[in-house]
Amino acid sequence: MPPPPPWLSVFPFCDSRLVRTQQTTFQIDIASDIVSSMVVGSLKLWTDLVVEGFQKSLRVGKFLCLLHAIDTYVCTPVLPYGPSMLPTLNSTGDLVLVERVSTWLGKVGRGDMVLLRSSEDPRKTLIKRIVGVEGDTVTYLVDPKYSDASRTCVVPWGNVWVQGDYIYNSRDSRTFGAVSYGLVEGKLFWRIWPLKSFGSLHGKAKEDS
Amino acid sequence: MNLFGNAVPWRSIAKEALERTAIVTRFLCLLHVTNTYICTPTLVYGPSMLPTLNLTGDVLLAERVSHRLGKVRPGDVVLVRSPVDPRKSLTKRVVAMGGDKVTFVVDPRNSDRVRTITVPRGHVWIQGDNIYASRDSRQFGAVPYGLVEGKILCRVWPLDGFGLLHH
Repeated sequence: MPPPPPWLSVFPFCDSRLVRTQQTTFQIDIASDIVSSMVVGSLKLWTDLVVEGFQKSLRVGKFLCLLHAIDTYVCTPVLPYGPSMLPTLNSTGDLVLVERVSTWLGKVGRGDMVLLRSSEDPRKTLIKRIVGVEGDTVTYLVDPKYSDASRTCVVPWGNVWVQGDYIYNSRDSRTFGAVSYGLVEGKLFWRIWPLKSFGSLHGKAKEDS
Repeated sequence: MNLFGNAVPWRSIAKEALERTAIVTRFLCLLHVTNTYICTPTLVYGPSMLPTLNLTGDVLLAERVSHRLGKVRPGDVVLVRSPVDPRKSLTKRVVAMGGDKVTFVVDPRNSDRVRTITVPRGHVWIQGDNIYASRDSRQFGAVPYGLVEGKILCRVWPLDGFGLLHH
């Protein structure tokens, strides 16, 4: 048997079985071993990549979970649109913060602007102001655009009476009646945008200047 | 003897306590997320769903996926936040969805009077299976769909009633 070539020592996985009498089979065996080691090497690389990808996405997933938990239980940003809360909130382009702690503690009352799920279309959420709570007697203008007619009613237990600040163009409790307190999802407390109105949203409805 | 001397390893105790607390907190978070978005056990009691549910308490499994996808149908037993007391949850059967006409006996204990009402859009009509002792939509009206919190899947306790609820 001819002695093994000196470069064979570079490939430590090659053992003496590769050394054959015939040069061609020797070369084919070397080549197949290189390929198989490359496949094994790249397989390991692959699994490393997959494991790292999984770990990174787990971290991202945990961060998103935290974000979602804060969004649902502490505070969430909302983009309201529509004319029903003029002049307090603009028709479009406002960014407000809604906090969820007060509703959970039951500390939402008259004069608060709240985020509530629509009782007519459960996929929509509305922003209105609470005008009366359970037990209150509410007197309201039924259709102020066209008539002066007003009606009075008592807010049932467990419900709230909501109205938009701009009663001429607002679909609220005057149309769909008192709303169950369970549909109130949060209380508006801070406006972020536009910057000239940055600040707290507490207190009475903004008067038209 | 110095209380904060080297004899007591305060640092490692605090660190271990923090780690254990973190593990417990993560587990509670996972439990909470599962209960809110996937499936939760509830204890229900009262006479309003006899004979389907027992008077003295059953543990039911309520799933919280269907109602978000809008897959609540008449005949389903659902978990609903009470429209008259937001701190309570009710378990009743959905009889009609928004837009349907529902015919019901107003007060079966005292009279045979029947009424027919169209359920408003975005609302559901719920009734207890035991109409003689149930406070439901016949008293407080149609319930907004937004108050539906889950659909009852099956009974877990007592064991002799284990399995899907029968009509």
